[in-house]
Formats: sequence, C-alpha cells, structure tokens
Amino acid sequence: MAAIAIPHPPPAAPRRRLSSWQTWGVIMLMPYILVFLVFVLYPVTYGLWLARHPQSYRTLFEDPVFFRTVVNTIVFLLVAVNLKFLLALFLSGFFVHERRWIRWLSVIFIIPWAVPAIPTIFSIRFMLNPEWGIVNSLIFRLTGADGPNWLNDPTLALSMAMLVHIWKALPFWTLILMAGRLAIPREQYEAASVDGATAWQKFKYVTWPSIRTLYLTSTLLSMIWTLGDFNSVYLLTGGGPADLTHVLATLGIRYIRLDQVDQAMTTIVVALPFVLPLVYFMMKRLSVDE
Amino acid sequence: MATVAFREVHKSFGATKVLHGISLDIAEGEFVVLVGPSGCGKSTLLRMLAGLEDIGGGQIAIDGRVVNDVDSKDRDIAMVFQSYALYPHMTVRDNMGFSLKLRKEKQNLIDQRVANAAKILNLEPYLARYPRELSGGQRQRVAMGRAIVRDPKVFLFDEPLSNLDAKLRVAMRAEIKALHQRLKTTTVYVTHDQIEAMTMADRIAVMRDGRIEQLGEPLELYDRPANLFVAQFIGSPAMNVFDGTIRNGSVEALGSRWPTAVRGAEGQQVKYGVRPEHLEPAASGIAAQIIVVEPMGAETELVVKIADATLTVMTRGRSSAGPGERIFLAPQASHAHLFDAATGLRIQPP
Amino acid sequence: MREARLWLIAIPILLWTLLPIYHIFLFSISTKDSAFSGALWPAKPTLHNFGTVFRQEHFYLHDFWHQIWNSVWIACATGVLTLVVATTAAFAISRLKVKGGRVVMNAALFTYFIPAAFLAVPMYKAMGTYGLLNNRWSLVLAMVTLASPYAIWVLKQASDRLPWELDEAARIDGATPLQLFHLVYLPLMMPSLVAIGTYALLLAWNEYLYAFLLLSNNIPLAVGLGHFLASDDSPWELLMATALIYAVPPAAIYYAFRRYMVGGLTAGAVKT
Ligand SMILES: Nc1ncnc2c1ncn2[C@@H]1O[C@H](COP(=O)(O)OP(=O)(O)O)[C@@H](O)[C@H]1O
Ligand SMILES: [Mg+2]
Repeated sequence: MAAIAIPHPPPAAPRRRLSSWQTWGVIMLMPYILVFLVFVLYPVTYGLWLARHPQSYRTLFEDPVFFRTVVNTIVFLLVAVNLKFLLALFLSGFFVHERRWIRWLSVIFIIPWAVPAIPTIFSIRFMLNPEWGIVNSLIFRLTGADGPNWLNDPTLALSMAMLVHIWKALPFWTLILMAGRLAIPREQYEAASVDGATAWQKFKYVTWPSIRTLYLTSTLLSMIWTLGDFNSVYLLTGGGPADLTHVLATLGIRYIRLDQVDQAMTTIVVALPFVLPLVYFMMKRLSVDE
Repeated sequence: MATVAFREVHKSFGATKVLHGISLDIAEGEFVVLVGPSGCGKSTLLRMLAGLEDIGGGQIAIDGRVVNDVDSKDRDIAMVFQSYALYPHMTVRDNMGFSLKLRKEKQNLIDQRVANAAKILNLEPYLARYPRELSGGQRQRVAMGRAIVRDPKVFLFDEPLSNLDAKLRVAMRAEIKALHQRLKTTTVYVTHDQIEAMTMADRIAVMRDGRIEQLGEPLELYDRPANLFVAQFIGSPAMNVFDGTIRNGSVEALGSRWPTAVRGAEGQQVKYGVRPEHLEPAASGIAAQIIVVEPMGAETELVVKIADATLTVMTRGRSSAGPGERIFLAPQASHAHLFDAATGLRIQPP
Repeated sequence: MREARLWLIAIPILLWTLLPIYHIFLFSISTKDSAFSGALWPAKPTLHNFGTVFRQEHFYLHDFWHQIWNSVWIACATGVLTLVVATTAAFAISRLKVKGGRVVMNAALFTYFIPAAFLAVPMYKAMGTYGLLNNRWSLVLAMVTLASPYAIWVLKQASDRLPWELDEAARIDGATPLQLFHLVYLPLMMPSLVAIGTYALLLAWNEYLYAFLLLSNNIPLAVGLGHFLASDDSPWELLMATALIYAVPPAAIYYAFRRYMVGGLTAGAVKT
C-alpha cells in the first residue's frame, strides 16, 4: 500500500515542498529516457520512414524468398512454440517431483539456457554434417545405411532449426511452468486423491485450471521472442539451402547484408500487424496490477 | 518542546474528501491522542503534520511557524511508525544515529546521544544487532530510540503498538507514558484503540469521518460525551443507548421509566444512554432478565434483556444470579446521558 | 515402478541436454583426424587444441586474445551501464513516484517486447547515422538498450516490495533523495542488483546478432567464432576448443549467481 498524494486542485495548495523529490526523480529517469529516445524511438521512427516507399513493398512481395520466408515463419511459430510448450508442460510435471537426483538433473537441464548460443548451435551443426557428423555416423553404424543430408533439404533443415530453438529455450519455459505448478496448494491434490482422482484427472481438474493462464501468456510471449530468434536459423542453416529456410528475423538481416536497408525495414513493417497485437496483449497483462 | 496548531486543515484524495477542516491546538509538552475508527483520517492528519502528505488546505504550525511549505526534515519532528520502519541493513546503533549522521553531526556526539537513548530504553545490549535479530518489543523501542536521539520538537506516533501482542502492548503503553513524563516532549499519538487513548493522553481528540467530534481530557470525554458517537466510542464495554420519550421529568423507554436530570420538553424524543457500570443490580427498580453471565473475577458482566432490547450490566464482585433469572436495575439520574434523537447531540442537564 | 518411470523420462532428458555439449567437449580434445571420424571418444585425447588457441596459431585465431578482451570489455561495460540506467529509473519510478514514470515504464515494456532481431535493423541504421559503427560502444549501447527494459521492470517489481515507510522514515530523518538512494535503497536492493548485473553481463557476452551487425573489425569472440564458418574446411576441432573457452565463463557465472538469478529473474519473467 505505497501511498502517495494524488494531486487534486486544492484551494491554493503550494506543492513546492515535493519539488526536490520530483526534480531528482526526473534527473534519475533521464538516463533511461535518453537511451530510449536515442536507441529506440529515433531508430524506429527513422526505420519506419525508410519503409515508406510503396515500391519497396512491391519489390518485397515479388521476391520469391519472401513468400517462402513468411510460410517458414508461420510454421516455425506454430510448430516450434507449441511443441516446446507441450514438452515444457510435460517436463515441468516431471521436475516437480521431490527427489534429490531430480534436483540435480534440473541443474544440468538448465545448461542449454545458461550457455551462449553459438557454441552449441555450431556443435549441432557439425553433428548434422552428412559426411563427418556424429549423427550420420551413428546411423551408418546401426543400420548400415547413409543418413539424410540434414541441412541440405529445406524441410529437414527448418525442422532442425526448430529443434535447435527448442533445445535452447525449453529449460527456461520448463522452469516457468514449474513455478506455476509449485504455486498450486498441495491440499488441492490431496483432496483430489481422497476423492479418488486418477493422475490424468488431477491434471485436468487441478493442475490445468491453475496454470492455464500462465501457459497461454507464456506461449504468446514466447511467440514474440521466437519471431526475433535469429540465431537458431542463421547459425544452423544460414538461411540455406538456396535461401529456402529464412524466417523474418534472418530475412531482414539478409537484406542488410545485401546493403538494402530500406528492404530490411519493409520486411519488418510487414511483420508488424502480427507483432503489435501480441505486444499489446502482453503489455496489458503485465500492467494489470500496476 | 513546542506547540502545534492545526487551522481549518483540509485534505482530499482525488474526489474523496478525507479531512473537513480540522482545528486543534496542542500546548507545549502536551500528550495528545487522536483516536477514531479506522479510516477516519487520523493518519492523514498526522502525516500532514510530519510533512509526508501535502496539506490540502488550511495551515499547520509548529511553534508558531507555519510549516505548510517546510520539508519534513526541517520541521524538527520525529515519527514512530506502526511497522517501525527500521532500516533492515543497519545495526540498532546505526538506525538510531542515522538522522544525526545525515545532519553531519560529529561522531562522538552521535555516539553519546545514541548511548543515552539506549540507556533510557534498555537497549544497550542490542546496539550491535540488526533489526531482524530483535523481538517485536525491542524493535518498537529502537523505533522510539531513533526518535529520541534527534531530540525533536514534536514526537509523532502512528499506531505504534498495533503490531504487538496484548501483554506487550500494555507494558509499552506504560513505557511510552513514562518516557513522555521524563522528556516532556510535545507528542501527537494516533490510535484506533480507545483504551490506549484513555490511559495515555493528556487530551484526546475523537475523530470520525474527517472531523473532530470532541476534544478533551480523558475523563471529561468519559463523563460528558458531546454526542452519541463519542459516548459509544469511549468506554468498554460500550454505553447502553436506547430510544425514549421525555414524560413527567423522566424518560419512558423499554416499557419502564428511566431517571434523568435533564429538564426537557414533554414528549421530546431522546436517546437514553447509561454506562454498564452504572446499572448495578438493586433490590427493586426496572426488571430485567439475565441472558448471559460473564464472570471476570474482579467484576462480572451481565447481558440482560429489557422488553426486546439487550443491555450490558457491569457489577463489581461476583454475581449470584444465573441466566434466566430476573434482576432489578436502579439507574441514577446523575449517571444518565441524554442525547437529542435527531442530532445525536448531548442534552446537558442544568 | 514409479521410480522406474521417472528414470525412463530422466535418461532421454539427460541425453538430449548433454549431447551437443558433450560434442563440443569431444571435439575440443580430439585431433583433427579423430574429430572427423565420428568416434564417440577420441583414440588419443589431447589438450593440444587449447594450446593452439592460446598461442593464436591459426589464421582464424590471430586475434583470439584481443577478441576475448573485447568480449570482456563489452560485457562489463554493458553490465555496469545497465545497472546505472535501470537502478536510477526503477528508483525514480517506484520510490520517488516521479510523474510520467508510468509512461516510461510502458515505453520500456514495449521495447522489451519488440523482437530483438527486428530492432536490430533500425538500430544498425541509427548507429551508422551516429557514426558509431565499428566502435565497441555501439554494441555496448545497443545491449544496454536491450537489457534495461527487463532490468527496470524486475527492479521496479523488487523495489515496490520494499516498505514505503522506510522512505518516509528516511525523509523525516533528513535524507535527500540522493541519500535515500545510496544509503537505504541500494543496500536493500543488493540481491536484485547482482541478478540484474549478471543478466546484462551475460546478455552482452552471449550476443551474436548485434555484435556481427555493428562491429566488423575490433570484434568480440562471438563474432570471431562466426568467422570460422567462412570456409568449408574449417578447423572444427579448434573452433570447438575456442567455443568451449567462450562458453565456460558465462555458464560459470550463471551457476555462481543462480541463487540470485532464479529468485530475481524467473520470478519476474512472467507474472502468474
Ligand atoms: N494515498 C491515499 N490515496 C487515496 N486515499 C487515501 C490515501 N491515504 C488515505 N486515504 C483514504 O483516506 C481516508 C483516511 O485514511 P487514514 O488517514 O489512513 O485513516 P486512519 O489512519 O484514521 O485509519 C481513508 O478512507 C483512506 O482510504
Ligand atoms: Mg492509520
């Protein structure tokens, strides 16, 4: 109950006394305001202005890579995010078991989240190398057949990129859902047990209703972040083969590498109608109890 | 030591008015308690005096100087909060010396003042401890120590005992009072507990809905409450009050005649009030039926029924009567309080 | 029975989590021939690769120490600057209740929700305008921009939980806003500050996209690693040795401060 006077029009009430606190407040807010103006507001405004030419949009829509990219992005979002969350939901149920060894396992499980992206993605990239990679060499040893050319087939390559994404982000979301599960009072489960509920019924009638909101919010937030996941695709496939595995995040950067910044901005503007509603929803959620 | 004056002080939060023109003069060295139900604006008034809340309208003066535009730190006041508000990362010593340190006082002066306050409050063994290592009562004393060290013009207390258990509360009550008698610093003390108010105050201001209902010495409020609200707020168990009509110099109520010293107009509608301890059972008088007997050792509380009203009766010593039995009550005119039925104001006997 | 089922889940988790990590380790202690043979354990484990890296004895490694230094410098500068920016902002919004604080908080949240790769494009352009491209500060400032919204939000949540009476007591005790900030607020916020400093530091150390967009010489190690991909016959065993060196410090820091990170960060990540 932090209380502060809400100003109202008083009969000649001087507010001078508070002014030094307000002044300091403004001064201390300045660093971030500057950061925001200089590195967010100006760049974004400038970027939008760069994307003002209708011609850029025509060029973009005519670029065959663009259409493929949009499809890839949608597939990536729907499949990778949902698969990741189903796994996280399942694994969070596993990790809430109270065992010493499961606690240790959870410490190991965090590693993908704790280490930087490049080393592990490169590692996976080489594991998938058709000639020398450990995956195909295992397949050969076990079956005698040659494994697929993982990163040279657009569908397989995109699937692998999704797998990399899931590998990296799964621990974080598992932790979040775990926190949600741990917040459910134990009595609810005990009551359900007494009532003779099966494990599935407990999940359906106790767990899910309690963490549903968390699950949905997290899914949306993860979608926003996944849209910005450049590493999983770029570092694994580089957008290849033949620019067939690009997503919007890598396509924008591809245009920059081609020195077409206007085109890069246009790509992003095209994505905004999908991003902004998600952002709006998230902001509303987070400022509920302000 | 200083005087404190509130003149027509107003306050609103947004559209809600919470203080409607409070005027109150506090003498040098006086211990004034603001008491009233939760939400009546006591804390707001105190916080305005402390400079933690803007003064919406009117003036507040300390020692004759209007402080409306003076910063908290320049008002020379000290405040004890309900939650104690001790700095968790500082030892007791540092907590108590903090204000002096901010004023850039010399270290040996700070040490001396802290040692002095610690001695007064029996905190000497705890000076090196952190607040989390202290009991509730000790924290409370550190909060007071922090106030004492500053040697301020005015002490402000906002429900300082509400977080303590009942027994400790009684002990601390006495301690604060003793402290005041020793230091003689002007004190404004806020509480919702009328017993605290009665036992500690030189004068009490009873507040309701942003207004002072009555200001006076504790027994004055008890003996001559200015209106129904004060009558029922002060005193425990609360005063019995019921509707009546003046007839032939007494009050007709609950099917009986109740004595009064007031000479009102015949047929006037009134509220008749009588404190439980003034309803001693007698050999004859108004018949009542006992419903519940609550022995408390030194005295006994009886809940009785007269007509269809429930009254509380307090008798000294023990009661031989049990539930269901009939007793007689003989109230005295001098102990009866009469209030106007419409306005609730006291009707003063001649 | 139940234990067996748990183990049945645990083993795939363990394999899935550790395989890519083990693979890095395996390569970094393998000779080139052994690395490319697909063996699960090298015939002759060797630390030779690390020696090569430390002595910068390969074309891709000429700048190894310089790149490490850049990474350290950028990570530390980002950590410190983010702490300054976010702590002052959170204090102003949460404790001084500065007017307009809410608007700023919302602006920060908005930034937090823009996908990072999307912001990279306008940021790249703007850094060009500011003449900061190829200057380490551009990456530091970009990382501060990315780190501070979340930092402010977490710190604001944490400082909202501090009792309001502490500020009032300090005000009555005669503290100025600055004194309140450094004598009361900062000491009480220490655990959150550790978490946020670590968060920003790791974010900057780990960043690849912004680093490779904004810096083309004078690069940090992350970009240096990316250069290994320039040709098909890259020395993967050296890449993996370097990658391991690059990955260990952030992991170590993460685990060292996990106590703070878990409480401070995941709690604030998604409100339940
Ligand atoms: N900062 C504030 N904003 C809005 N209303 C407030 C604020 N502080 C107090 N109030 C309201 O003012 C009234 C008086 O509050 P307060 O002085 O705290 O009462 P008391 O201390 O007597 O219990 C209450 O109705 C309370 O809800
Ligand atoms: Mg109060």
